Amino acid sequence: MGSKEVGRRDFLKYGISLVGTGVLGSQLVYPLDPVYAQTEKKGKIKDPIRIGAQATLSGPFGGYGQFMKMGAQLAVDEINSSGGILGSKVEIEFRDEELKPDVAAKNARYFVDDWGADFLTGLDASSSALGVGAIMGELDRVLIVTHGATEKLTENLVYKQGIKQIFRISVPVYQDGIAAAIVAKDFPAKRWVTIGADYEYGHTAWNFFKATLKKLRPDVEFVEEAWAKFLTSDFGAHITKVMAANPDGIYSTQWAGEAVTLIKQAKLFGVFDKIQTWMTPMGAAMDVLEGLGKEYPEKAWVTCRYWFQYPDTPENKAFVARFYKRWNKYPHYVSETTYSAIYAIKAAVEKAGTLSTPEVIKALEGMTLMTPAGKRYIRPEDHQAVYQVPWGRITHNPEYPFPTLTDLKVIPAEEYFRKPPFVEA
Amino acid sequence: MKPYTLIGLCLLIVVLMVLPLLVSRFYLYITLQVLMLSLFALGFNLLFGYTGLLSFGHAAFYATGAYATGLILKNVTNSLIPGVLGGTLVATLLALIIGFFCVRHTDVYFSMLTLAFGMMVYSLAWKWRDVTGGDDGLIGIPRAPLQIPGGLSFSMKAVSNYYYFVLIVTLLAILLLYTIVNSSFGLVLQGIRENSNRVEFAGIPIKRYRWIAFVISGFFAGLAGALLAPLENTVAPAAADWTKSSEPILASLLGGIHTFAGPIVGSALFILLKETVVRHTEYWLLVYGIILLLILLGLRGGVVGALIQFKAKAKR
Repeated sequence: MGSKEVGRRDFLKYGISLVGTGVLGSQLVYPLDPVYAQTEKKGKIKDPIRIGAQATLSGPFGGYGQFMKMGAQLAVDEINSSGGILGSKVEIEFRDEELKPDVAAKNARYFVDDWGADFLTGLDASSSALGVGAIMGELDRVLIVTHGATEKLTENLVYKQGIKQIFRISVPVYQDGIAAAIVAKDFPAKRWVTIGADYEYGHTAWNFFKATLKKLRPDVEFVEEAWAKFLTSDFGAHITKVMAANPDGIYSTQWAGEAVTLIKQAKLFGVFDKIQTWMTPMGAAMDVLEGLGKEYPEKAWVTCRYWFQYPDTPENKAFVARFYKRWNKYPHYVSETTYSAIYAIKAAVEKAGTLSTPEVIKALEGMTLMTPAGKRYIRPEDHQAVYQVPWGRITHNPEYPFPTLTDLKVIPAEEYFRKPPFVEA
Repeated sequence: MKPYTLIGLCLLIVVLMVLPLLVSRFYLYITLQVLMLSLFALGFNLLFGYTGLLSFGHAAFYATGAYATGLILKNVTNSLIPGVLGGTLVATLLALIIGFFCVRHTDVYFSMLTLAFGMMVYSLAWKWRDVTGGDDGLIGIPRAPLQIPGGLSFSMKAVSNYYYFVLIVTLLAILLLYTIVNSSFGLVLQGIRENSNRVEFAGIPIKRYRWIAFVISGFFAGLAGALLAPLENTVAPAAADWTKSSEPILASLLGGIHTFAGPIVGSALFILLKETVVRHTEYWLLVYGIILLLILLGLRGGVVGALIQFKAKAKR
């Protein structure tokens, strides 16, 4: 990612602006609650404090895992070089979840029962997050999910089944479906279609999108759906099918390499000359931006789970600068979420003054944290971190070696996060 | 069975019985995985090693057992035995239907048919979202208590309790399969493998025998899956994937397909090797693949087969 030249210039720019704010050397993730600082007790609690992390490290989505590792490593190194957590060093180990829930569950058991993990984090696939989530009551450690986006994790496992050990620091599928509809309501487009990812994520996101948009704009129609199975490489049939319905807008839930392939092929079919708007929720992920590069059409509206240019705060700028300095790359959203998750663990342990799981859960519930992605409030009911990520339109900015976002639309999280008791959409 | 084999076996069972006192919860879990894969591979090997039919789709029965048990425990009864038995029964019924079509063919045609049926079940698990939960999987399966008629109820919340349940079920199932393969029925199956024409000329309806073997094989795969659901509390379509079907094949080949104990030894090797390699390198898939290749190429007849040959040579 990132040619060195451009990156260095950019880094300097950040560096200069940061000297002014004085935030470069300090901690970027910290709790904002007034109750904080209540504990200055005991000696060392346990050394080292161990965090078991999982990501997809192999196969077509292996790049995600590498980005997650970078974010995690940065946080761990920062914490250890500034005194650790209550004086204890932090140790992290990564395992490959292979996008398979049984493998993820086994890894979690290994981490807790054999390696001696005090916390678990990571997890890319929704099914892996659910597979590990299901056994967290039994393992009784705090798990902070940093990517897997299914609403079932927090709505079903935490809120309805009461598995309180589960937390999620990244935005769930509300970002992909509900926020997308709130953005789409201001577009002139009336006839919407989807080229959907034919699995839980694609269907759930499209259902949220339809339900929300229909409420906000009763005049829109949903005229066609084409579902592509996991790892599709030829979208010709899907594109032809939806274009036959003469749509104004296309909503597509492909991500990573599939999103790149789909958009390239849609261009070949001349889709972008015929439609008004294209929306791809995970289209602002670094891998898609780099994969499409200059070919990324400016009609595309995209988002992700953290956008490195938002918010415009000293904490975020310092994070991007530090990340760039360490890895010579701009942070992917999983880098930020995992970085923040590790700091959330630190904040919770410092607040609780112990590693006891019920105490740490209590410390995390209702906590507000300052993070690179902005203020995150951890809802006590479903343990979902509430913060907002903007939607934006693709633009080609010569300052960066990849396309960036413009016309940012920031919707307050309260408007698009589903709330307990989570009635059907 | 020779006396010292019997003594060794008794020792092994005693060790397995006291295992929860000796090892941590994680190794108990690994042992559970070995037990479940053993059942799965033993059932598979009744078709492969004994009858000469290579199935590429046995995960269909494994997954059906797991999903059906999950659905029963979630929606019908919160009692372990009816859940596990019910799930196994559904898987067996499926084997009855799929087997009916598959045993009409042999060799690669049989293998391809089983692969096709296997992937059908996989697609069903993936797409029938209202029932299976799609790729998110069936979540919230309880590890139901073991209720025995007469009012006794044992909690299965602790893994060690569930371990004993799985261990006893597995031992009983292995005993059952051992009886089957050493009966005249088992002998006919081996006859079919060696020379199906001769067996047919002897007046034996080989298709029916293959069909019965297929159903028994499906029963064991289903039972393995049924035991999985309450342990993991979740079942996802990966349980029906063809890569899952390859696990009993590899385990059987590793251990040796022409011995009864081969698949059990192979299952233990398969899981323990992976567990060891994963700890040492991020590129475990490569290392693991090479080790499996070396064993498969170096020890013809698998580990158990090679041991028997070695002993025979030593005697001479």
